[in-house]
Amino acid sequence: MTDPVGEIFEYDEREVIELAFPSRPDLVVLARFAAATAAARAGFDLEEIEDLRLAVDELFVSFGPVARNGCMRLELDRSADTIRVVGSFEGFEPPESSDGAEDEKGTWERAAELSELLLDSLVDEHGRETRDGRAVVWLRKKRAANI
Amino acid sequence: MSDQPASHGRVLSAEPPVVVVAGEIDLAVAPSLQACLEKLLDYGHLHIYVDLLEATFLDSIALGVLVGALEQCRKAGGDLHLVVNEPRILRVLEITGLSGTFTLHSSLDLLAELGPWPERTGRVGEAPER
Repeated sequence: MTDPVGEIFEYDEREVIELAFPSRPDLVVLARFAAATAAARAGFDLEEIEDLRLAVDELFVSFGPVARNGCMRLELDRSADTIRVVGSFEGFEPPESSDGAEDEKGTWERAAELSELLLDSLVDEHGRETRDGRAVVWLRKKRAANI
Repeated sequence: MSDQPASHGRVLSAEPPVVVVAGEIDLAVAPSLQACLEKLLDYGHLHIYVDLLEATFLDSIALGVLVGALEQCRKAGGDLHLVVNEPRILRVLEITGLSGTFTLHSSLDLLAELGPWPERTGRVGEAPER
């Protein structure tokens, strides 16, 4: 079956989208939008696009509340049938302790476990590490072959 | 007037209370949902319904909030019910192994049989008083 999106956008060519914004929760939608756009341009089907949107959102969750005060940098690298997303956080500060800290910690710990399950299922590879003092998360998702 | 987006949800003042959540339930919305559910629990509601029929996206932090509320409800002898029929949200529940943990409903028909709800409504983050 011919993929009309592939014919129009020639997704065999590499394309990189870079995005930088304050890592505020209400701006995570920008990352999801960029991921969906890149996935659509790469010929991902609707279900795969939704999977990538959720996976990119989960990259934020995996950093927990410390990500709130930093700067989020996102790089979406599309080549052929694969999208690789790298997110990094800079300049964040540890959360201040408060009366609600335990509740918040419980929520984030619970979310981190669920996030790991989701990422395992939604993408082909994902990981996190620290590079040069920056926290870095990444994922890779391959488009299903056309039938 | 609050600057909170009205599209995210509201609480129907009734017994049991129904928290209606719409749109994309993510990092930005989850704290409001958590505050709303905690208020309902503080007011002594043991059975809470979360209506996700108009929700289109649910991430792990929102799911974590729901799991936390579920644990508190059940600890107090109640339950947290999810009303959901959106395939993407059902899939999130399946992947995380929670589809069998929550009490799921595909519609609010069951509650409608209990009688009409009062007119008063509030947004997520505002729990109705008993």
